[in-house]
Amino acid sequence: MSNDPQVDDYLVRLRKALSGMSLAEREDIVQEICMHIRERAEDGGASTEEILIGLGPAGELAEQYRTGLLVQKARRSISPLLILRAAMRWALTGVEGTAVFLVAVFGYLTGVGFLLLALLKPIFPQRTGLWVGPNDFDFSIRMGALPVSTPQLHEVLGWWFIPVCAVIGSFALIGTTKLIQFLMKRFRWRTPLAQAMLASGALTAGWGSLT
Amino acid sequence: MAKQLPVAVEADSSEKWEAQMRKGCLEMAVLSSLWHGKLYGLEILRALERDSQLILAEGTIYPILNRLRSEELLQSQWVEAEAGHPRKYYELTASGRERATRMAEMWTEFSAGLGSLIEPVLKTARKSSRDNGRSRKEPPL
Repeated sequence: MSNDPQVDDYLVRLRKALSGMSLAEREDIVQEICMHIRERAEDGGASTEEILIGLGPAGELAEQYRTGLLVQKARRSISPLLILRAAMRWALTGVEGTAVFLVAVFGYLTGVGFLLLALLKPIFPQRTGLWVGPNDFDFSIRMGALPVSTPQLHEVLGWWFIPVCAVIGSFALIGTTKLIQFLMKRFRWRTPLAQAMLASGALTAGWGSLT
Repeated sequence: MAKQLPVAVEADSSEKWEAQMRKGCLEMAVLSSLWHGKLYGLEILRALERDSQLILAEGTIYPILNRLRSEELLQSQWVEAEAGHPRKYYELTASGRERATRMAEMWTEFSAGLGSLIEPVLKTARKSSRDNGRSRKEPPL
């Protein structure tokens, strides 16, 4: 901690906003920011207000750390929940992120739906399955609670319905995970961190000329 | 005939484009600033400002360094400085050096290709600005 109550207050808010990270990671970040403030004050003679304005609000600074690490973890993780969280945060930054989030939601819902069908078949064997009718497009997939209403439809697959749904569901979950990870790597330049920087005007000066 | 954009809108989209371009180069700039050895956060900010005129808000550099470290492109170490307080120094890892090299090669290739494409645009722009300057200097008849 420093001897300046304004700086102490900033660091307390930063530490609080970084909750969710490991203690070591959090303290490392707070220590680095504390040293930056001290260095800037000693070196450039800047006032505390100026330095804290340069760093931005503690909450926003913490958000940049958290988002960067979340996207980083999601790129490596196979957890649908973590990937959905990263995609949801990405969705807040623009159209591209929203599209990726919708793909993730659709893919995971499809996967979970098929796995649910595989689980429901043994419980409601007469009401869960794939039915087809006399016409080309006359087919339906039903889940537990729904009654079999049209008598001309007949069930196909039988008990094979379970492994087929399990395989399709698993492929949908794995495929969605891989696809979202690919998109996160593909659009690495446009991660929420960079978007936040652009929105907050963090890149302030110009390369006056391209030549 | 193409619809002419209002000047304010045009300037705004130029600024956005410029910001997007700089943003895209940020990772390469940070990695390149560490090419000659280890630096701490404030030194990196100053190196970027001095060598590339890339001025970042101070709070921006640390999350980027943290992310690059978690990607194992950088490694960091706290060192007790003569100033009396510790500093966190960053240096490139082997994969960081590899990434920086690849980025620099791609950037050079890309800018060389684009340079020849935009050369006539710049020539025409310079010529017309010279002509405008000359006509302003000539006294009215």
